[in-house]
Amino acid sequence: MTTVTTAPDPAATVTRVVLADDASLFRSALAELLERDGCAIVAQAGNADELLDAVERHRPDLAVVDIRMPPTHRLEGLRAAVLLRRRHPGTGVLLLSQHLEVAHLDELVGQTASGVGYLLKDRVTGPDFLDAVRRVAADGCAFDPEVVRMLAGGRLGGGTGRRDELAELSSRERQVLALMAQGRSNNGIADELHLTTRTVETHVRSVFQRLALADEAEHNRRVLAVLAYLRSARRAMISASAAADSADLGRNPAADDCSIASP
Amino acid sequence: MKGGLGAIAIDAVPEAAPPGDPAAFIASDPAAFTAGDPAAFTAGDPAAFTARLGSGPRSRYGVPALAVAGVAFGAVVLWLADSGRTPDTTSTLFSGIVGGLYLLTGSVTHLRRPGRLGLRMVTVGIAWFAEDLWVSIDPVPHTVGMLVRCVASACLVHVLLAFPDGRLRARTERVVTGAVYVFVLVVVPLGVPFYESMTPNLLLVADLADLQDMLIDGVQVVFAMIVGGLLVRRWFVATPPARRVLAPVYGVGLVGSVASLLHPALPDSSALLVNEVAHLATLGLPVAFLAGALRVRLGRTAVADLLLQLPRISPADLPDLLARALGDPALRIAYPRPDEAGSTTGYMDAAGQLVTPRPDDAITPVRRGPRVVAVLLHDPALRADPHVLHAVTAVAALELDNQRLAAEVRAQLAEARASRVRIVAAADEQRRRIERDLHDGAQQQLVTAALVLRLARDRLGPAQPDPEIDALLRRAADGLAGAVAELRELARGIHPAVLTEAGLLPALRALAARSAYPVQVVDGPALPPLADGVAATAYFVAAEAVTNAAKHACANQVQVHVRASGNRLLVTVADDGVGGADMGAGTGLLGLRDRVAALDGKLVVRSFPGAGTSVHAELPLEGP
Repeated sequence: MTTVTTAPDPAATVTRVVLADDASLFRSALAELLERDGCAIVAQAGNADELLDAVERHRPDLAVVDIRMPPTHRLEGLRAAVLLRRRHPGTGVLLLSQHLEVAHLDELVGQTASGVGYLLKDRVTGPDFLDAVRRVAADGCAFDPEVVRMLAGGRLGGGTGRRDELAELSSRERQVLALMAQGRSNNGIADELHLTTRTVETHVRSVFQRLALADEAEHNRRVLAVLAYLRSARRAMISASAAADSADLGRNPAADDCSIASP
Repeated sequence: MKGGLGAIAIDAVPEAAPPGDPAAFIASDPAAFTAGDPAAFTAGDPAAFTARLGSGPRSRYGVPALAVAGVAFGAVVLWLADSGRTPDTTSTLFSGIVGGLYLLTGSVTHLRRPGRLGLRMVTVGIAWFAEDLWVSIDPVPHTVGMLVRCVASACLVHVLLAFPDGRLRARTERVVTGAVYVFVLVVVPLGVPFYESMTPNLLLVADLADLQDMLIDGVQVVFAMIVGGLLVRRWFVATPPARRVLAPVYGVGLVGSVASLLHPALPDSSALLVNEVAHLATLGLPVAFLAGALRVRLGRTAVADLLLQLPRISPADLPDLLARALGDPALRIAYPRPDEAGSTTGYMDAAGQLVTPRPDDAITPVRRGPRVVAVLLHDPALRADPHVLHAVTAVAALELDNQRLAAEVRAQLAEARASRVRIVAAADEQRRRIERDLHDGAQQQLVTAALVLRLARDRLGPAQPDPEIDALLRRAADGLAGAVAELRELARGIHPAVLTEAGLLPALRALAARSAYPVQVVDGPALPPLADGVAATAYFVAAEAVTNAAKHACANQVQVHVRASGNRLLVTVADDGVGGADMGAGTGLLGLRDRVAALDGKLVVRSFPGAGTSVHAELPLEGP
């Protein structure tokens, strides 16, 4: 447990973080990275039980959790993350893993894509990692580009004959939606696709329209669109014979904007 | 004293024989059998068995010669004793018939069944006559007769306990027999100087006759009860073939003992009749010994049947046929199980499974030439007639040799399959471990190094005082990122973690999701839990087929179907590519076919030019 070392703006809320990873070298390096960015590491845990205790005690804004932890080094982190999301909706959960699996994504995300992230562990060295941390802490979402790519691959392959919610979208609109699912803001999407922000906004509006989300409150629409995207992609990968996913498309008042950086 | 003898004989017979030490029947130690020590079988060899039985009088005619001498001795004794007979003693005729019957039946028994039993019976006859010397009124033979006046009882106890093969099996039996001999050959003679009878006793010192009569009667009752108990116990633990042999002796003995027990309790008229019955039973006993000894040979007709039926039966019926021929329903056949070097490492059944003998199994080897082609595990009682066993094994040897060869092939096949399964399992385990080592070791350390590098870069600050250092750090970071990504793909190729973490379907979906072209996973109802090896094999088959579809088939669409049917897992990967795939053409499917076969499954590739390729694998759900 360490306190904030730098607090550039005392008025701004400090992001309080719990770290869980059994590799202590990695954990302390990650703690240093987050502290330099202005987060307060309120506790560090080496296994799932310590993580659950720490979150219970500190009620942090965010828990950064490694998926493999003792004793079996399989999915302890995932199971703990799912538990945390159910027990403490106010705590964002950012799950890190050496490899990404759609099956784990399903389990982690469940019905609400808010306050949740799933990233490759090596993203911690990337430029977007601190953004992702802040988004998830603020009830947004952050999914690894590779997850999104896998989902897109699977969806394209999933010609199951079922009406696809995303079938209405143009390929450009899908690209935009995929980047929304990563948690990118409109500006971020514009940079990525080499478009103007205005064009991106047009595509985003079009996506909302086609997914019949036009009437939703602005801050809900982004999350709902992402969920629709994840659901659709997920379902395409699940077999033709699997029962239809009857999840409510998320008239979930708790859902917040997926990208706090959005203008 | 004749009465005393009769009491033991008749009282003792109906109660029956001890189970004996079963180990004594088993020529070879079961442990040695399991260990497969071929030397253990020499003791079970019929020839060795016969030799051991013959270790008494070596000559076939030694016992009859002894019996002839016994007849002469008996005639002399009867002549000497005749004058002393009274209504209280047995008559000369009865005595002569009983003794003569033992000599006769003992000789016949010996001629028909070389062994010790015949000798023991002849000994009873001679002892019976020796006792009669006591009846003589001539002081010399009378005094000699006094010394041996109970000796026939001991010989009879010996025959009873050693029936039917003439050997004492259990320690208890040996102790009891020894005690009886000590009593009649040491204790009774020591009492002779203190026993005054009507005929002058040449050794007489003082007279304690009444005391001695009481003592001897008491001891005889005790011995009778002990022997009776042993015999009863033997009957109850005896197997059906053994009871068949014991039955005549036990039957006669039962009648005789009931009669002699009733005799004193009955009024005179009936007592006379019952006494005759008791006498008849005494006469019948040697005949019953002979009958029992001959009964074990009844199996010989079955040998002839066996000879006739053998060419016509199916191999599976062979154990039944041998069981019937030998009269032992529990008979089992086992075959030597050779190891790689060709030496015997234990025994197996016709299916190639290891056979462990039960503790009371007797084991008889079946030989063809110098080699043991099979062993019979059977009731020890069958040993009572080694000739039938020998004949049956000789007749069945050829067929058993064939079966042995077949069993050997099956066992080798089973071993080869088991070793293939082990190799696959070991390879899977190794893959899993390598994946995990990469994941928790190298990958983790590289990610940590990359993160520390990032911290270092961040410390340089936004001003970037030295662009060269910044560029170097960036190159290092890129290198690390590339290494992490490569390791991740390597680990996934070795053994996808999701297979262990989430199972076959999620792993197949992940495979589909990562594929560069459309792959659809179609599953049926929820799959039951799969053995690790089965899930891994199904996954690798699908992965290989999907890769091939991309590399060779130019497919636009691939479908992976997975479902359970009965106790089989069915995996089909079908593409719409150019077809014409060949399993042998370096597709990697050949190795997978071996892997599938190791699990007792099968892999079929159907590929026709222009009609796409389908790879179909069927695996048992539980694994091998």
